Amino acid sequence: MGRLPTNPEVKLITDASATQPAALVVASQASVAASVDAQQTGAALVPGTQGVSRGRQLSDLPIDELKHLADELGLDSTQYETPQELVAAIHQHRQMIATLDRDAMVDVVVWGRRPVTVNASKEQLTQEIARIKAMRFSGLSHRGLIALARVRGVACEDGEPIPQVLKRLKKQEGLIARFSRKRRALLGSVVSRILGESGAQDYQFLPGPGDATAGTTSSTAPAKARSIKDEIEESGLIGGLTGRIKKSADGYVNQKLDEIEARIDRKLDEIDRRLGEWRDKEIANRIRILKITLWASIVVAGVSLIYSFIKVYFPR
Amino acid sequence: MPDIDLFNFFRWVLGFIVTVYASIITIQSAYTWYVWLAGSEKYISVLRQYVIVQGLKLRFRAFWGDVLVCILLSFTFCLMWRAQYLLDRTHEMLHGS
Repeated sequence: MGRLPTNPEVKLITDASATQPAALVVASQASVAASVDAQQTGAALVPGTQGVSRGRQLSDLPIDELKHLADELGLDSTQYETPQELVAAIHQHRQMIATLDRDAMVDVVVWGRRPVTVNASKEQLTQEIARIKAMRFSGLSHRGLIALARVRGVACEDGEPIPQVLKRLKKQEGLIARFSRKRRALLGSVVSRILGESGAQDYQFLPGPGDATAGTTSSTAPAKARSIKDEIEESGLIGGLTGRIKKSADGYVNQKLDEIEARIDRKLDEIDRRLGEWRDKEIANRIRILKITLWASIVVAGVSLIYSFIKVYFPR
Repeated sequence: MPDIDLFNFFRWVLGFIVTVYASIITIQSAYTWYVWLAGSEKYISVLRQYVIVQGLKLRFRAFWGDVLVCILLSFTFCLMWRAQYLLDRTHEMLHGS
C-alpha cells in the first residue's frame, strides 16, 4: 500500500461506484494543480481497474499504462503532455464517473449494444461506453446522451436540451474525425448494399455469476439495430467487416457447440441405456448361476438322502 | 481299520472344498470392489454415486420369478438337510453310533 497522505487537501472519500471499501483519492476538485500535487506526493491511491492493480499509485504507473488507462476511460491521452497532467485528468474523470447515473450509463450500453453484465460496475460501464464511437444518437435516451457526452469529456449539465448536447458532441468530435466518419459511413452504405442486411436481435446482457436475470432482454432502453453500415461507420471498413465476420463465426461456433452438446447428451443416454441393459443381463446371469448351483446342491442332497434312507432301512 | 463310508466321505470333502472355494472367491471379489469404490478421487466418487443410482434403478419385478425359484430351492435344500439330520439320528438309534 502507498504512503499515507501528507497533503492537507487529501482525505478519505467513498467511491460510489466501487464495491470495495473507500479508496484514498484526492478530494479537492477545485484545482487540477492540487490533484497533481497530491499525485506527486504519492497520496492518491487508485481504485481497482482492469489495467491497474488495487492500491497501486497512479503516479507510479509508466506513461504508456497511464495513456492506456486514460483511453479506456474515454479520455484523449494525446491532449496531456506530462504524466502529472494525465494522472490528474484520470482522477477528475473518475470522480465525474462516480457522479453519473448508473441507469443512464446502462441506457448508453444497451443503445450501443456493448457486451456487459447486468450488475457491471460504473467503471466497467464507462470502459464500454468509451468504446462506442457512434455519432448517430437515435434511440438513445436523454439521460443516456448526457452520460455519453460526459464520458467523452464534453461538459454538460443535467437536463440540458438535446440539441445543445448534440452540438457540443459534434464540436468535440473535430473536423477531421467527422470527415473520416462520413467517409466510412459512405463506404459502409456501399458495403451494406453489396452484402445485404440481416435483422439484428434484441440486446441481451452477458450472463453474470449467479445472476438469475442474466440473458434476458433489456427493457431499459429501445435496442438499436446495428447494421453493417453502422459498424463500418464506427470502426472502419476492415474493423466493421472483421466484427461482422467475428459475430458470424461466433454464431457458427455456438451452433456447432449446441450440436456437439446434443450429440454428447444422446451418447450419454445411449451409454446409460446400454449400461442398464448390461446390468439387468448380468444380474439375470448371476441368478441363473445361483439357481443351477441350488439345483445341483438339491440333486446331490437328494441322492445323499436316498443313500442314507437305503442305508438306514435296508442295511446289508 | 476304520469303517469309512465312501459316499459320505465324498459328500463332506466336496462340500468342504466347494464352500471354501466359493467363500474365497466371493470375499476376494467383494473386497476388490470395496477398495475400488472407497477411493477418494473425484471420478471414483462420481462412479460410486452412479453405481448407487444404478442399484436404485434396478427393478425387482424383472427378476422376481428367478428370485422366487431360488428362495423355494433354498427352502427345499433346508428341508432336505433337516431330513438328512433326522435319518442320521434314526440310523444312530437303530444301529448304534
